[in-house]
Amino acid sequence: MALKDYQGDVNMCCRCSACKFIPMQMVKGSAFSYVCPSISRYNFHAYSGGGRMNIAAAMLKDGFKYTDKLLDVVYNCQLCGACGVSCNYAMDMEVLEPITEFRIKCVEDGKTNPALVKAIASLKKTGSMVPVKGKRAGWATGLKVKDATWEKVDVLYHVGCLTSYDKDMQKLAKATVKILQKAGVNFGIAGNAETCCGSRAYQMGYPKEFLAQAKKNMAMIKKAGVKTLVTGCADGYHAFKVLYDKYELKGSLEVLHISEYIDKLIKEGKLKPRRKVAMSVTYHDPCRLGRLGEPWVHWKGKKIPGDRFVFDPPKPYRRGANGVYEPPRDVLKAIPGLKLSEMTRIKEYSWCCGAGGGVNESNPDFARWTAQHRIEEAVSTGAEAIVTACPWCEKTFNEAVRASDSSMKVYDIVEIVEKAI
Amino acid sequence: MALSKEAYKEFEDVVGEENICNDPAIMPAYYNTEFAAVILPGNTAEVQAVVKLCNKHKQVFRPICTGWSGMFPKGIILLDLRRMNHIVEINEKNMYAVVEPYVISSELQAELFKRGLNFCIKGAGTNCSAMLRGHGHMDQTTSGDDRNHLAIEWVTPAGDIVRSGALGSSDEWFSGDGPGPSLRSILTSAVPPGVTPGVFTKAAIKLYHWPGPAEFPVVGHSPKYVLGEIPSNMMARYYSFPSVEKMWQAEIRLGEAEVCYELMGFNAAMVAANITTCNEEDEAMFKRLNSEVQGPGFFVIIAGDTPADFAYKKKVLEMIVSEADGKSLKTLEDPELEGIIMCQCTRISASIRETFRPGGAFNSIPIMGQRDLTIKWAIGAGEAKKPLIEKGYIVDDGGAFFGWGVEQGHLGKTEIFCKFSPSNPEAKKAVETWQREQNMRAFEERYFASTMGPQDKISPALCNYYSWWEKITSALDPNGVSPLGGSLV
Repeated sequence: MALKDYQGDVNMCCRCSACKFIPMQMVKGSAFSYVCPSISRYNFHAYSGGGRMNIAAAMLKDGFKYTDKLLDVVYNCQLCGACGVSCNYAMDMEVLEPITEFRIKCVEDGKTNPALVKAIASLKKTGSMVPVKGKRAGWATGLKVKDATWEKVDVLYHVGCLTSYDKDMQKLAKATVKILQKAGVNFGIAGNAETCCGSRAYQMGYPKEFLAQAKKNMAMIKKAGVKTLVTGCADGYHAFKVLYDKYELKGSLEVLHISEYIDKLIKEGKLKPRRKVAMSVTYHDPCRLGRLGEPWVHWKGKKIPGDRFVFDPPKPYRRGANGVYEPPRDVLKAIPGLKLSEMTRIKEYSWCCGAGGGVNESNPDFARWTAQHRIEEAVSTGAEAIVTACPWCEKTFNEAVRASDSSMKVYDIVEIVEKAI
Repeated sequence: MALSKEAYKEFEDVVGEENICNDPAIMPAYYNTEFAAVILPGNTAEVQAVVKLCNKHKQVFRPICTGWSGMFPKGIILLDLRRMNHIVEINEKNMYAVVEPYVISSELQAELFKRGLNFCIKGAGTNCSAMLRGHGHMDQTTSGDDRNHLAIEWVTPAGDIVRSGALGSSDEWFSGDGPGPSLRSILTSAVPPGVTPGVFTKAAIKLYHWPGPAEFPVVGHSPKYVLGEIPSNMMARYYSFPSVEKMWQAEIRLGEAEVCYELMGFNAAMVAANITTCNEEDEAMFKRLNSEVQGPGFFVIIAGDTPADFAYKKKVLEMIVSEADGKSLKTLEDPELEGIIMCQCTRISASIRETFRPGGAFNSIPIMGQRDLTIKWAIGAGEAKKPLIEKGYIVDDGGAFFGWGVEQGHLGKTEIFCKFSPSNPEAKKAVETWQREQNMRAFEERYFASTMGPQDKISPALCNYYSWWEKITSALDPNGVSPLGGSLV
C-alpha cells in the first residue's frame, strides 16, 4: 500500500501526543516516560508520530512541498514503531505504516539522504549493509559448521551482515555455533552465499532493493530445502518473519530468533545452562524482535461508510502485543546465578537502541544519543550489564558506553548463554 | 506574516538555533496554518524574553502544551512549551506540587501515588498538561477547576512575570494577592477562550490523600492492560437506576455520606469505550451493556483507609444504591473488567477511547452547575442527538450524557458530546448546529448560560461580563499580541 492508501489513517490523528510517551498506564513517574527518540531529541512536534501523521495528511491534501527541514524530520526517525504502540492503545489507525510509506515516497521522489544512498549502493554491490572485509563466512573457519547450500541441515542459521563482517561482532556468531553444537542441532549456515536480509534497506525507504534481497534469500532457502531458519539479529528476524510475509515471500518457512530457539532447546532439555553466571543484568527488547516482531496479518477490506473508522471485514491492527518478549527473558531466568531486573520501558513500549531506520548511517550522533538514554535507564536498575538480542543494539550501546565513560557492560544474549554452558 | 530576518535572529538569540523554526513543512504537524515561527522556550526567562520581543515587533503569539486543541490564526508565533517539562517540587507536608506546563498528568500522578498522594486529573486525559484547569473523574475527592491552582507563575502579555498565590505554609513563593483586588479571577478565568492571555509557566497544584496502591499492579500488553489483582481496599462498580430521579437521589446521598472516592456519571457507551480495545469490540460491548442497564447510571470507586473503613463504605454504598432501586452491572463485576476500569478511571488513561477512537472527532458541551438542573437540560440535549444518530452522522451512544458531583456536593459537571467523522462535512455541520441550538436552549430555558454560546445574547444577561473581560485583556495586552482563543490542553 502506498501513502495515499493511508489517507484515512493519517486524518484520524487528533494530536493527543500519546505517541510521545509510553502507554499512559505504564508511566511510573517523570523519568523514562518518553518513548519516541526523535521527538525527545528534536522537540518540534513534527518529529513525533502524530506530527508525521499530520504532515502526511496536509501534504496528501495540498501537495508535497519538500524542504531540507522536512527531510531532516523524515530521516531522523528510527521507525522503531513505539509511537504506533502508544497510539494504538486507544486508537484504531495505522501509524508506522504511513510513516514508512512517507519515507518511501521521499526516496521515490528523489528526496534521498546521501548516507543512505551510499549504503544502498554498497548493498547492491556487495550484498551487505556494512563494509565488506574478507569473506562473509570467514569467521566460521575451523568451527566445523555445515554449509546448508549443499549439506542437508534441519536449521539454517542466518548470521546477518554486521555479525558476519564486524570483527567485534563475530564473537556472536561463534557463540551461537557453540550453543547449537552443544545442543546437538543439525544446523548450517549459507556460508559465503548468505546475503543481506534487506530489512535495513526497507527501513531506509528502499523497498525494491529490499525485495531483491528477499528474493535472493528465499531462492537460496528453497533450493537448500530448509524448513526452519534461525536469525541472530532482530533486523533479520523482522525481515524473514514479518516483511517477507507481508510481501508473500515467506511461504511456510518457520522463522525463529536465536533467543526463541535457545528457549525451545532449554525447555526440551536439549540445552542445559549449568554454569553459574553471577551477574545482575537488565534486558533490552530490540524493536524488531519485540513490538515489530509481531507476525504480519494479511487483511483486505473496505471502510464502512458512516460515522466510525471501521472496516469490513474488521481490520486487525498489529499493536505490539504479540512480539517476542518472554523467550529471551525465560532464557536469562534459566541461567544459574543471573539476576534479571527490568527497566521502566520494556516489551511493546521499549525505548529504541537508536540504530534503526537508517539513523545509524545518516545521523550516528542521534543513534548514540538514543543509546545513551537507554544506558542511563539500564544504570537506574542497578544492573551491571545490559543484555540485548541484536548485534546492532550491542554495537550502538557499546558506542554510547564508550562516549559516556559508563561502566555498564553490554552483551548479546548468546554471549550470556555461552558463559553458562 | 513572515518574520523579518532581523526579528527572527532576535528570537533565535533567545532560545538558540535548535529551538526556533519557520520552515513551512513542520507547521502542519501543529495545525494546518502558516505560523510566523514555532519557538521552543526552555524556561520562564526565555518565555519572558520571547513575549517582550513579540511586544516589540507587535507579533501575535500563542502557547500550547501537548496540543490537541486550540485555534491558531495565520501568522502567529507558536510557543511550544514542550521543553518546560519539569516537576519543580512535590511538597508532601504542605500537599502541593509545582510543575511546568509540559509535565503531563500521568507523570505527576505516578510520582504522587508513590507518596500516597493524588491530584485532579482533567477529563481531557492523563496525556494532557498537569497544569490544565478543569474537571475530572475524581472531582468527588480531588475537587476541580480553579480550586486546585494554589499559585501561578504567569508571563503577562506585556512580558512581566507575575507570581500569584502561595505554595502553602512555606515562605518560598508568596504573593500578597488580596485582600482587595485580586488577580485570582483573571488567572483562572472561565470566560472565552477559557484561558488567560499570556503564558502560564508554572503552577502549584493542590494535592490530596490517595488511599490506593503506590503503583497499580498492571500486567499484560497494550491495548489490554489488566490489574494482576484488585487492591484489597478498593472496589469499582457501575450502578443503573430505573429513572434519572432515582439516580440523582442516590448520587446526592452518596455525596452526603462521603463514601465514594470517585463517582462518575458515565453512560454505558463510555463504560464500553473504557474496557474495550477496538471499535468493533466497543460497539458490541455497548449493545451488551445497554441491554443490561435498567436506565441511567453512574460508576463508583470506593477506597478504604483501613479494612474497617472499606467495609463501612461498601455497606453504605450498597444500602444507598439499594434504597434507590439501583442495580449493579454484572458485566463489570468480572474482576478483570473491574480492574481495567478502576485503573482507567483513576489514571484517566482512556479519554481518547471515549472521544476520538470511533470517528476521529467529537464536539462537546461541558457545563458546571447545579447537577439536578443541568441533568434536566442534558436529557433534552440527548434527545436532540437522536435524529443525528438516526441519520448516521454521529456515533450511537444512546443519546447519553455524563457528569458528576464535585467535592461530594450538589454542584458538579455535566457534559454531553457527539462523536463523528471530521471527514464528513454534513456530520460536522449537523453537530455544530446541535451544539449551537442546545447552548441557546440552555440559555432561553434558564438552565444555564454557557460561555460557549453567542456572546451578544449571553453577555448582556451576565452583567456584560464579556465587555469587562475585553477591557481587562486590553489593559493587560496593550499591543494586542495575545489574542483570545486557545487552550493549555
